[in-house]
Amino acid sequence: MSRSAKTFVAVALLALMAPATFPALAQKTASVTADLPAGPMQAKATTACLECHEARIILQQRLSKAAWTKEVDKMIKWGAVVDAADREALIDYLSGNFSPDKPPYEPQRTSADRKASGKMK
Amino acid sequence: MNSRRGFLKQASAAAVAAGTIPPILTWALPPGQSVDFPGEDGMILRSYRFVDLETPVEDFNTWLTPVPHFFVRNHMHEPSELDPKDWRLSIGGEVDNPLTLSLAEVSKLETHSVVNSLECAGNGRGFYRPQVPGVQWGRGAVSTARFSGPRLRDVLERAGVKSTGKHVMFRGLDEVPGKVPPFIRSIPIEKAIDADTLIATHMNGSPLTKHHGFPARALVPGWIGAASCKWLTEIKVLEAEFAGNFMSPAYRFPNQPVQPGEAVKPEDTHPLTALTVKSVIAVPSDGASIKLGRIVVHGAAWAGEADIARVEISTDNGATWNPATLGHEQSHYAWRLWSYDWKAVKSGDYSICSRATDNQGRVQPSTAVWNPSGYLYNAIDQVKIHVS
Repeated sequence: MSRSAKTFVAVALLALMAPATFPALAQKTASVTADLPAGPMQAKATTACLECHEARIILQQRLSKAAWTKEVDKMIKWGAVVDAADREALIDYLSGNFSPDKPPYEPQRTSADRKASGKMK
Repeated sequence: MNSRRGFLKQASAAAVAAGTIPPILTWALPPGQSVDFPGEDGMILRSYRFVDLETPVEDFNTWLTPVPHFFVRNHMHEPSELDPKDWRLSIGGEVDNPLTLSLAEVSKLETHSVVNSLECAGNGRGFYRPQVPGVQWGRGAVSTARFSGPRLRDVLERAGVKSTGKHVMFRGLDEVPGKVPPFIRSIPIEKAIDADTLIATHMNGSPLTKHHGFPARALVPGWIGAASCKWLTEIKVLEAEFAGNFMSPAYRFPNQPVQPGEAVKPEDTHPLTALTVKSVIAVPSDGASIKLGRIVVHGAAWAGEADIARVEISTDNGATWNPATLGHEQSHYAWRLWSYDWKAVKSGDYSICSRATDNQGRVQPSTAVWNPSGYLYNAIDQVKIHVS
């Protein structure tokens, strides 16, 4: 086992023994932006959709192909740049990744600012 | 990949390689890292751009919601530049004397305060089946604040509404991307001249923050949040309802119940106005494990333009109901906090439900009325807990 692997085992075991270490880790903050999933249409979907809104709006949807078709056509009407030859592939990409049978989306939280959380009456 | 996930993945792989699979790592993970968002505290991040933040229901423990916990719903980009010195509010359309007011002039008008529970029409959309497109709000796109500012009717009186003026349109300064229709909506003149409809400049005693519409927003109490236009810059009196995307097809409800999944023709819908009757359970949280004994169940209930008459709690999945105690703090358009002291005498799994009734006799239903855009979700709230 490499030195780094040993270190990770040690850290993992430490975490198991001392769950109190988890909150400290959880306080780290993530990037403000999210990415669309990998796939042949990832780049084109990023260009077409994320010009106006971010990926989380898409990541949280669980829609049928018919509903995705309506959404894509609405967005094209509203200015999303989608080559006519790519429309079908974009709908397949979205309905394949974000169909009703996918697991529920787990939203992130904004960082807690204890100074801001004072109670008021 | 973010660093925390990366660390855990490598740690798990290392543990597997070492023959010690730590099952705790598969369930002890927090649900993703938090995202820095100055001024917003521990909110559920539905979208960063545009800003859509949901209040965690466990924060429903004060009658007035602190501003950093107040849900945020934006359809567009917030104004990128807004100098209060340059801000103007124009009042025009079907009026005798069109006006333009500066912030200093608005501030000199007589102020009125309204405690209002503001709820997004799409609150609870994520619970509808089949799923519908839109921000997948859970239970927390609702919050309560004391809003203050001049009455809209005082400003309309100064402008002199003509007899042809039947609707009042609001336009904000949000920035519209692409060819997206601007977020413009209107309300009927009767609601516009109601004594509690405001041009709000303050929230809980402080000037509005940018996320909540600085320097001024409409405040249409008891109605869906979308009626209360933020970054208000134009008020226009119209002869008819404003014709635009956010009046139709958006923010409309079927006239007749429809089968879940069924399409609805625009002519068979009406615009959403007042909120309906609803309660949610703040504590205990869904999935909680709790010690046998005294368990306090608490939450909030509201009914738009009506008042909450009672909230009932069931600890046996709706078979029997007992009254909750309503909080003392109340105001016409504001939610009532409620609590219920439950003595759990037997271990087991429980489904706790809350059901509100208002003074118009409306009762929170067991199933919300499905509609194509997922508005006005108000089914009886339910949390499942384990007591041992």
